[in-house]
Amino acid sequence: MLTNRRRFLQQSALGTGALALMPSLGPLVAAPASEGFPRRFVFIRKSNGIRPLEVALPTFSDQEAARDRKKEAMEADLDRHELPTWLQPLESHKQHMTILQGLSCKMSENGHWSYSSVMGAFKSGRNSLSGIKRATIDFELAKLFPSPFGHIELSLTGDYNTFRTGIVAGYSAPGPHQRNYCYADPQTAYNELFKSVVDPGGVDSENQMLAFLQNDETYKAQVLSGYEKLKLSNHIDSLEAIRERNNRVEKMSGTIKEHLPTINKIHADGGPNATTPEKQEAMTAILIAALTTGLTNVVTYTIDELSTPIKGLPGNETDHISIHQVGHNGGYSGVSADAIREKIRIGHIQQVATIIERLKQVPEGKGNLFDNTMILYFPENGEGHHSHGTEAPFVIMAGDNCKLDIAGRYIRLPYHGTEGHKTLGNWYTTLLNAHGNLIEHYGDLDLEMSRKKLPQTGAIRRFIA
Amino acid sequence: MLVERQSQSGQPLVEFSNQFERDRQSPCRRDLVLGLSMLLLLTWSSSAASGAKLPSATIPTEVRSVLKTYCVACHGPDSQEGEVRLDTLATLEPDARIDLLNKLHEVIRFEQMPPEGEPQPTDAQRQQLEAWIAAAVSSAGPSKLEEKLRRPDYGNRIDHDQLFSGAYAHLKAFTYDRRWLISEYIFDAKFNRILDFKPFLTIDGTRQPVVGYNNRGIILTNPFLLPTNTGVRYYANETLNGGHLLTMITNAKVASTHMFNICRRHKQYLPAIVEIMAREWEHERVLATRETFLRNFIDRVLYDLYQDKHEAFLPTFVPVSVKSTASANGDPTAKAPYHAAILGRDEMILIFHTALKHQKEGDSDEQFLEKCEREWFNFGHDKRNILARTTFLNKYMDEWRADLVKHNYAAKHKPPEYRPLPPDEMQVVAETILRHRARGDRFNAIIDKCMAQWRRQSEQDLTDAGPPHDDLVAALVDQLFVKILERTPEPRELDQYAALTRSYIDEAGNSQAIKKLIETLILRSDFVYRSEFGQSKADEHGRRMLSPRDASYAIAYALTDSSPDPELVQAAADGRLVTRDDYRREVERLLSKRDQYYVIDESVDRSHLTDNFTNMPIRELRFIREFFGYPALLPIFKDNKRFGGDYDTARVRLVSEADRLVESILEQDRQVFERLLTTEEFYVYHSGDNEAMRIAAERIRRIYDHFKDEDWQNFTTNDIRKHQNFIQEVKMRGMGRSPESDVKVLQTVMTSFTLRLDKGQTAAAPYNSFPSHGPFNASTRSGGGLGGVEVAKCFNIQLDNWNYPTTQPAKVEHRKGLLTHPAWLIAHAKNTETDPVIRGKWIREKLLADSVPDVPITVDAVIPEDPHKTLRQRLDAKTGESSCWKCHRKMNPLGLTFEIYDDFGRYRTEERLEYPENLIQKNPDKGAPHVDLRDLYKTLPVDASGYLEGTGDDRLDGKVVDALDLIDRLARSERVRQSIIRHAFRYFMGRNELLSDSKTLIDADQAYLKSGGSFDAVIVSLLTSDSFIYRKAIEK
Repeated sequence: MLTNRRRFLQQSALGTGALALMPSLGPLVAAPASEGFPRRFVFIRKSNGIRPLEVALPTFSDQEAARDRKKEAMEADLDRHELPTWLQPLESHKQHMTILQGLSCKMSENGHWSYSSVMGAFKSGRNSLSGIKRATIDFELAKLFPSPFGHIELSLTGDYNTFRTGIVAGYSAPGPHQRNYCYADPQTAYNELFKSVVDPGGVDSENQMLAFLQNDETYKAQVLSGYEKLKLSNHIDSLEAIRERNNRVEKMSGTIKEHLPTINKIHADGGPNATTPEKQEAMTAILIAALTTGLTNVVTYTIDELSTPIKGLPGNETDHISIHQVGHNGGYSGVSADAIREKIRIGHIQQVATIIERLKQVPEGKGNLFDNTMILYFPENGEGHHSHGTEAPFVIMAGDNCKLDIAGRYIRLPYHGTEGHKTLGNWYTTLLNAHGNLIEHYGDLDLEMSRKKLPQTGAIRRFIA
Repeated sequence: MLVERQSQSGQPLVEFSNQFERDRQSPCRRDLVLGLSMLLLLTWSSSAASGAKLPSATIPTEVRSVLKTYCVACHGPDSQEGEVRLDTLATLEPDARIDLLNKLHEVIRFEQMPPEGEPQPTDAQRQQLEAWIAAAVSSAGPSKLEEKLRRPDYGNRIDHDQLFSGAYAHLKAFTYDRRWLISEYIFDAKFNRILDFKPFLTIDGTRQPVVGYNNRGIILTNPFLLPTNTGVRYYANETLNGGHLLTMITNAKVASTHMFNICRRHKQYLPAIVEIMAREWEHERVLATRETFLRNFIDRVLYDLYQDKHEAFLPTFVPVSVKSTASANGDPTAKAPYHAAILGRDEMILIFHTALKHQKEGDSDEQFLEKCEREWFNFGHDKRNILARTTFLNKYMDEWRADLVKHNYAAKHKPPEYRPLPPDEMQVVAETILRHRARGDRFNAIIDKCMAQWRRQSEQDLTDAGPPHDDLVAALVDQLFVKILERTPEPRELDQYAALTRSYIDEAGNSQAIKKLIETLILRSDFVYRSEFGQSKADEHGRRMLSPRDASYAIAYALTDSSPDPELVQAAADGRLVTRDDYRREVERLLSKRDQYYVIDESVDRSHLTDNFTNMPIRELRFIREFFGYPALLPIFKDNKRFGGDYDTARVRLVSEADRLVESILEQDRQVFERLLTTEEFYVYHSGDNEAMRIAAERIRRIYDHFKDEDWQNFTTNDIRKHQNFIQEVKMRGMGRSPESDVKVLQTVMTSFTLRLDKGQTAAAPYNSFPSHGPFNASTRSGGGLGGVEVAKCFNIQLDNWNYPTTQPAKVEHRKGLLTHPAWLIAHAKNTETDPVIRGKWIREKLLADSVPDVPITVDAVIPEDPHKTLRQRLDAKTGESSCWKCHRKMNPLGLTFEIYDDFGRYRTEERLEYPENLIQKNPDKGAPHVDLRDLYKTLPVDASGYLEGTGDDRLDGKVVDALDLIDRLARSERVRQSIIRHAFRYFMGRNELLSDSKTLIDADQAYLKSGGSFDAVIVSLLTSDSFIYRKAIEK
C-alpha cells in the first residue's frame, strides 16, 4: 500500500519499464553511495556469441595457452600481455580491464537468441512474458542507484534488412512477467530522453493533464472514507508526485543542454540511410549524454542482435551483411566470416573506448565519472552462434571506485560442471552483493551443477574488494 | 473466533467475537479499552510527531502483570528467545515499540504464544492483553495484523467449524462498498476492447473469435500482474501505486495514438473524431495523393512539362564505385549465398520496377546497370542505397534474374500504372513544379519543395477554419467516455472535459488534443478500478443492493475478464438486475454460454505444441487451475538428463492436458470436487478430439501393416516405386522430394512405427517419426502439429510399448486425481527432488482449511545432503526436533505420502540416490523419444506411509499407506469439500470470508450436495448470496 510520496518515489523508481520512457520525470531521491556518488553500469549485449578463443591473450606462454584451451582455471596479469587485436582500442585502459572467462549461462536461453534471459538468469520460454521470472540484473542494480529515468535501454536491432525504429519491446525486465521498452534508433532516443530541452511544450502539456486529473480525483475522493478514500488518495498522490518529478527534470534542463549530443541529420525519421557504424556512434553519444546529465545510472545497450543488418562495415562498405550468415561461416566480398566477426567486434570496442574516454573527461568529486562506472560487454548467447551456454566470456571495464577486485586481469574460472565453477548467477550475485544488495543468490540454478551436487550459490567472494 | 468490525480507517477488521459479544454486554469494558488507547495515543503519538525520544509508555498494571507472568521468563533480562525482549517494551523507541507490538499482536491473537507445554494465560487475560495491544498499535496506523488478515494467505485463520456450524447463519452478510483494482486479465480485455482488437482462431475447421490473445501489434505494459503463488490470487485489497501509474501514462500515450489511427480506417469507431478531423485529413489525403503520384511518376511529369528542355535541368550524373569481388590477391572469392545478400523486400521491388523501365534486349549488364543507377541518381536516392543496389546486381545478376522468375515478380509486384491526377490537381502540380524546380535539382528535392509549399497552404486553411464547434466537442467527450469508460459522462463531467478539450485544442491543435483527451480518460481511476457500490434504499441492516450497472460488471467479471455482454448490459438498463432471481438468471445464462472461446494460458498456447483454449466461462476453469496451482510448473525448467528425454516440450503439454482434464470434469459437472481428486482417467498426448486421434492412429496402423512384411530396411528406389499408389493414398508425410529421400523417409517412419506396434499394441500414439522439424502424424484442433509426446514418460508410459488409447481421458495406472497428475507434482516439487513439505502444506491449507505458520527467519530450511539416505530419511532427521516438528507435523505426514512419485511425477517404488558416488551406469545424452536416457543410480525403497489428521472425521483420520490412500480419504471428507468452497468464495468475492458470511458458505455447500456435486450450482449460490449482492458504505 502506498503511504507517502517518499515511498511512491521508491516504488516507482524502477517499478516499471515505462519509467525509462517517461520523457519528463524528475530526479528521484538518490540513494547516497558510499562516496556520495552513484555507481553507473553499462551493459552492452552483442549477438553471435563470443568464442572463448577470441578473448584469449595472444602472448600467452605455451603452457598458459594450453591451460586456457583445456578450460583449466587460471589467471594472468593483462599488463604483462598484449591484448587480442580487436580489444586493442582499450589498450590505454588496460588497468581497468578484466577478461572473465569460464562463466556458464546454461540457466538462460542459448542457441541463436537469449532475449531477456541472459540478464535474468532464467529461461524465457522463447521470449514469452510469463517466462520472465524476475527483474533483470540491470534493473536490480538500477534500484540501488536511483535516477530520474531509473534505467534506459537502447538497441540496434532489425529484421535482417532494415533497422527497427521508434520505441520497441526491449530485452530487460523491470520485474517478473514485464518487458521493458527500448529506444531503437538514435533520433527517437534523443527526442525522448532529452525532451525537457527538445520539446518543453510536451512536458507542460503533460503537467496540465496531470493537474486536471488530480483535481478530478480529489473531487471524487471527498465523498469517500476509510480504505476506499485511501485508494483514491494514492492515485492523487501518484499524480502529484509525477508532476513534481516533471518539474524537477525541467530544472535539469541546464545540465542537459550542456551535455546534449549532436545527432547527424542522417538519423532523422529512424535513419533509414545511416550505416551500422553511424548508428552505433550516435547511440554511443546518446548513452554518454544520458550518463553525464545524470538522467540515468544504468544503461543496457543491445549493440547488435542476430537480425541487425550490418551496413557500411569498413572494408565491406557496399555489402549488406547478415550476422546470421556470418555465424554460419559465410563471408562477404572476399572477406572471411572470421574477419567480419572481428571487424564487428572492433566496431563495438571502439564504442566502449569512446564511452570510457568521454566519461573520463567529466569531473566527479576528486576524479571523473568513469571512476564510478562499470561497463560490461558480453554475448547474449554464450560461446558461439549456436551456443550451449557452457561459456559466456565477459569483457569488463571498471573505474577505480569499482567494488570488485578483478581489474587488470585475465581470469578463467573452473569449467562448467566442475568443482568451483561459477555461473552467470554467481557473477550477478557478486555485482549485487558488492553494491549493497545482499541477496543470497540471484538467478536460477544450473541443472548440471545440481545433478552433480556441486555448490553453486552465492557471490564469487574473491572478486569482492 | 472472528467477526467483522470497522476500523478507524474504515477497513473491515476481524476480532474475537466472544470479546465482541462481551463488549456489547459491558460498555464499561469498551470504555476501559478506549481509555487505554487514548492514553497511549496521547503519550506516543505526540512524541512521534515531534520526533523526540519518547518518555516511557504507560502499560496498565494488569497488562504488565500478564506479560510478567507468562512472557518475561523467556523474553526478559535473562533470556531473549527469538531476540524478543518484553520487559523493556515501555522504553523502546516508538517505531521499535510498534514493530514489537505488531509481532506480539499476531502471536497472542492466534495463541501461538506462550508455546505449547508452557503455562497459559486465561481467556480473559489473553483478551485483555490483546485489546491493549490492538489499541496501542492502531494509534500508529492500521495494525499489521489487520492488514494481514485481509490477505489471501490469512484466509484460513477464521475457525472452520464455526463457519459451517450454523451458529452464525443469522448474521447478515454483505461486502463493503469498494473499488477493486483491475487484474492483469481485465487490463488486457479492456485494452483489446478500446483498441478494437478482435483476434480469431480456426478451431475444428471453423473460424472462431477468441478472447485472451494479446498480441495487439502495439506495445503495452501490463502493470496489474497478479502474484505468482498458487491459490486464489486476485483480491480487492490492492491499490494503485506509482509504478502502476507511470506505466499507465506510457500505455495511455501508445493507446491514444493507436485509437486515433483506427478512426482513419473505421469511420464509425469514434465518429466525432472523424468529423473533427475531416478537413485536416482531407488536406492530408490530397497532399499524400500528390506526393505518391510524384514519387511514382515525376520523371514522366517533368518530361511532359519540360519536353526537350528536361535534359538540361537534370543533375550531372556521378556514378558510384563498386568494389571488385576479387580477393586481395586477385583471385575470385566465394561470395555470400544469395539469400544472405538480398536487400530486403522493398528494395528488391524497387530494383525490379527500375529494371522494368530500363531492361532492353541487346543491352549489356553494364548498360542496364548504368541506366538504373542514373535513374536512382536523378531521383536523389541516398548514395549508400545506390551503392548497395549496384553492388548486389553486380554480384548476383544471374541469381537475381532467376529469383524474379521463381517468385513471379511480374505478377506479384506490378509497377504502378500511370494515371494522371484530375485536371485541376494536375494544374496545381504543374504550377508548383514550374515554380520550384531549379537546374540540377534531383527529383526528391523538387518533390520536397512542392510538398513544403502545399503543407504551408494546408496549415493556413486549417487555422482559418477555427476550432471545432462546441457541440462537436461535447459529442467527442461523450463518445470517448462511452468507448473508454463504457458510460456517458455526467453533466458536470461533460462540462469539465469539454473545457479541458478546448484548452488542449488551443495549445496543440485538433489531433494532439484528441490524443491527450484519450490519455486523460485512460488515466482516470475508474478505468483502472472496478466499481462495486450499493445503491437504492438501505435495508434494516444498513445494506444496499449493488447498483444495476455495478452488478452487471460484478457478474461479468466474476465469470469472465470482459465487460458485461449485451444481454447483461440490457438487463441493467431495463431494471432487470434488482432481485436475487435477476442475478440467478444472468449467472446461469453466462455459465451455460459456449459461443465464446478463450485462450486459457497464452504462454502455453505460444508453444505451438498444443492447443490451450476453452469455451466455458474462463474464470470458472481458472479457479480450479489456480486453486490446484499446477500451472506453476511452467517457469520450472528441469534437467533433461534427469528426465531422460526432452522435458521442455513435455512441460507445456502437461499443463494443457491438465487443463483439458479439468475442463472435461467441469463440463460434466457431477461430483466435481470428488472427481478432481480421484479420477483415474487422464489425457496423455491427445488433441482433445477422439475421432481425429482414432484416424491418426489407424493411419499409422495401415502404413505399418502395409510394409511390415516387406524388406523395407533394404528398400531401393525401385522398391519404393512399387508402393507409390499406396504412399499417395495414405498421404505419407515427408515423401515426394526424391526417390532416394523417399527410401530414407520410409525407413525412418517404419522404424518408428514398428516400435509402436510390434509388441501387439492395440494402437500407435500418433507422434512425430522424425527427430525434429519433421512432419507430424497428428494435428491439434487448431491445425498445428501435435508435439511433446515425451509427456508420456511422466506417466511411466513406455513409448515403444504403449497401447495408445485414442479415446481419452483414459485410465492410467497408479494415478488418482489432479494431485497425482505430473503437472501438480512437478509444480509442487523442487528442481532436483520432490518437496514433501510444500505438498503437505498445500493439502493442509487448501484441503483441510488449516494454517501453517511461515518459516521463522532464524530457521535454515535446507534438507542436508546424504548420498546414502532417501529424501524422507533426510527430511525426518532435519525436522524431527520438537521445535521443527510442531509445524512440520502438519505437513510432512501428508506430503511424504507422495513419495511414490518423483519430482517429474513418475510413479516409483524405489528412490534413485542421484549422487555421483552412487552412479552405476552412464547412459547417452541424446536418443529417440522412446529411449530412457537417464543415468542409473543406486536406489533405496520408497516409504510413502503417512498420517492424516484434521478432517474432523474419525473414520478418515489415521495412518495412510500412500498418496492414493490419502486421496481416497480426502475425497470423502466433508471438511475438504467445504474448504474448496471457502476458496471459491474468496475467488469470486475477492476477499476473505468472515463469520457473517457463514450462511453464504453453508448455502453454497448445500447447493453442491443437493445438485449432485455441481460446481455451477456452487457458483450460482455464491453469486446470488447476500455476500455478493449486498453492500454497505464504509462509515466515516
